[in-house]
Amino acid sequence: MITLKNIEKVYRTTRIETLALTNINLSIAPGEFISIMGPSGCGKSTLLNLMGLLDEPSAGQVQIGGEVVTQYRDRELARLRNRKIGFIFQSFHLINDLSVIDNVEIPLLYRKGDAVGASRREMAREALEKVGLSNRMKHFPGQLSGGQKQRVAIARAIVGRPDIILADEPTGNLDSAMGNEIMNILQQLNAGGATIVMVTHDETMAKQTHRLIRLFDGALVGDSVLARTDD
Amino acid sequence: MISHLFKLIWNKKKAHALLIIEIWASFMVLFGLLSLIVFNIRNYSQPLGFTYENVWAIGLQSNQDTVGIPQKAQRIFQRLKAYPEVASVSRASNNFPFSSSNMNTRVDHEKRHTMVEYYIVDAHFSNTLEMPLVAGRWYRGADSVGKFKPIVINQKASEELFENENPLGKIISKDKQVIGVVGNFKGKGEFMSNQPALFEQLDENNDWNKTMLVRVKPGTDAMFEAKVVKDLSAMQAGWSVEVDHLTDSRKTQHNLTLVPVIIALIVSGFLLVNVALGLFGILNLSIARRRGEIGLRRALGATGRGISTQFIGEIWVLATFALLIGLLFAVQFPLLDVFDLQRGIYVTAMLIAVGIIYGIVTLCALFPSRQAAMIQPAVALHEE
Ligand SMILES: Nc1ncnc2c1ncn2[C@@H]1O[C@H](COP(=O)(O)OP(=O)(O)OP(=O)(O)O)[C@@H](O)[C@H]1O
Ligand SMILES: [Mg+2]
Repeated sequence: MITLKNIEKVYRTTRIETLALTNINLSIAPGEFISIMGPSGCGKSTLLNLMGLLDEPSAGQVQIGGEVVTQYRDRELARLRNRKIGFIFQSFHLINDLSVIDNVEIPLLYRKGDAVGASRREMAREALEKVGLSNRMKHFPGQLSGGQKQRVAIARAIVGRPDIILADEPTGNLDSAMGNEIMNILQQLNAGGATIVMVTHDETMAKQTHRLIRLFDGALVGDSVLARTDD
Repeated sequence: MISHLFKLIWNKKKAHALLIIEIWASFMVLFGLLSLIVFNIRNYSQPLGFTYENVWAIGLQSNQDTVGIPQKAQRIFQRLKAYPEVASVSRASNNFPFSSSNMNTRVDHEKRHTMVEYYIVDAHFSNTLEMPLVAGRWYRGADSVGKFKPIVINQKASEELFENENPLGKIISKDKQVIGVVGNFKGKGEFMSNQPALFEQLDENNDWNKTMLVRVKPGTDAMFEAKVVKDLSAMQAGWSVEVDHLTDSRKTQHNLTLVPVIIALIVSGFLLVNVALGLFGILNLSIARRRGEIGLRRALGATGRGISTQFIGEIWVLATFALLIGLLFAVQFPLLDVFDLQRGIYVTAMLIAVGIIYGIVTLCALFPSRQAAMIQPAVALHEE
């Protein structure tokens, strides 16, 4: 589903050069639930951004669902992000001036052709039902708790039915009870067939995934398959 | 997408209220200014109804002299006519073309009435000013012996008094009979709107109305002008003689119209530039504040171009709100007929103002939205 070959990422500013990732080779199969761990600044977010086509590697190749995206332009990258990938962020990134359901609808707005108004509404409602928030559709993000906000963000990530969900510390801003709730939702999505890559600082969360990748100083230092506790 | 933008703007309407007021105010100013300009352009495009090149107005003041004024004036008239440089002379009242004086009177016919500019001019007037007649004829000296005073009116006056009926032979205000009709007569110049005008035969035995309109032959120079002034002053000691070229007085009349328009244009121009700069600043700021949202939208599938389209779309939505309010105000002018202008003028002004406002906001949004499109999604998302 996702293949990274010889990835290197260098951030260049006028004065300093940061080697954020080096020599990353990684292959993620459909349906996997992967966690990425590592100390702060080791390149986890950078790696996730490359997988999510939000950033380009300095060297190496990224494949998403068999498509090599190296030569892709903005329009094609945007299409892939929109169709294949759902993002979940630590700080939710909801638009405060839009209601919950309007926030959830956004990915469908960037999809030309299908989904007209009414069916967009219907898809957004379904996504919100999946995260248990169908009773908060007309609320605004400011009126929600952190856990609820993250569930809205998850609904937004899944509304377009992407194959891949990329989550950057999705429980980082939440207490453990809410964190567990989010984790349960992610597990359900994974059970439904979604490939999930999650960055986390929490060992117990990571233990609930299928595979754990460890990064250190931009390098991949560990890749272990975890014993499945539940399913 | 459009309804999405409407929602976004609507939900932020409080934050945008000032911006909306600003755009609304600019629209109102533009609407006012454009109404004025359209009004003047429309007037300008209507024919003047006479020619003024090579026509001089010779003003005569008898000052302390009180005896035999009409005879002396007639002698001057004859003298002027005798110059080989002079093609035609006419004696007229002080409200001759491009002069600063007016003479209005109310005339009626049966139940209809109208205000007319009232010119008292002699039989040569139409000839001197090369006024084409559209019906009937200009009066002659001999006409004055009849029961009614012979008059010529312009078409505008004819429409006001007789609508579509034939005006020839009709009696106006009991003692005046229409014997001829001219087309337009815009005595104060091209910028004047076409108003009703009435020409009545000048009584040569009158002390008043002794401005001499002289059409000189082309190429006549200032030497001749000096000679005329000298000759006339010598003929009638104590009288003052003043020569105005109609081309000059026309310019003066035009300035009376143009100067206020130009001042309004400059003031509005500054205002609009100010508004545009303000708008530009606000947009830049709002884009800086919304970097997170920009990154997010990119992550969710927006292209760079999509982002810049969104920002331009938002400002259009905002402008549309402001313009709807503005139009609500603007339509009152034609509906209530505030300034007695034609509706078409207001409508044209509205359309142009709407176009200019959309143009300005687009121009202001262009650069900031380009900037927004270039924001790197990973960087923008990282910042929050
Ligand atoms: N836009 C950028 N410009 C320059 N350097 C950057 C940029 N983004 C990240 N870096 C650098 O790249 C390295 C990896 O950053 P990254 O955000 O991937 O770390 P992380 O593992 O996600 O850390 P954390 O756990 O704190 O989120 C860091 O040294 C960081 O300073
Ligand atoms: Mg990070």
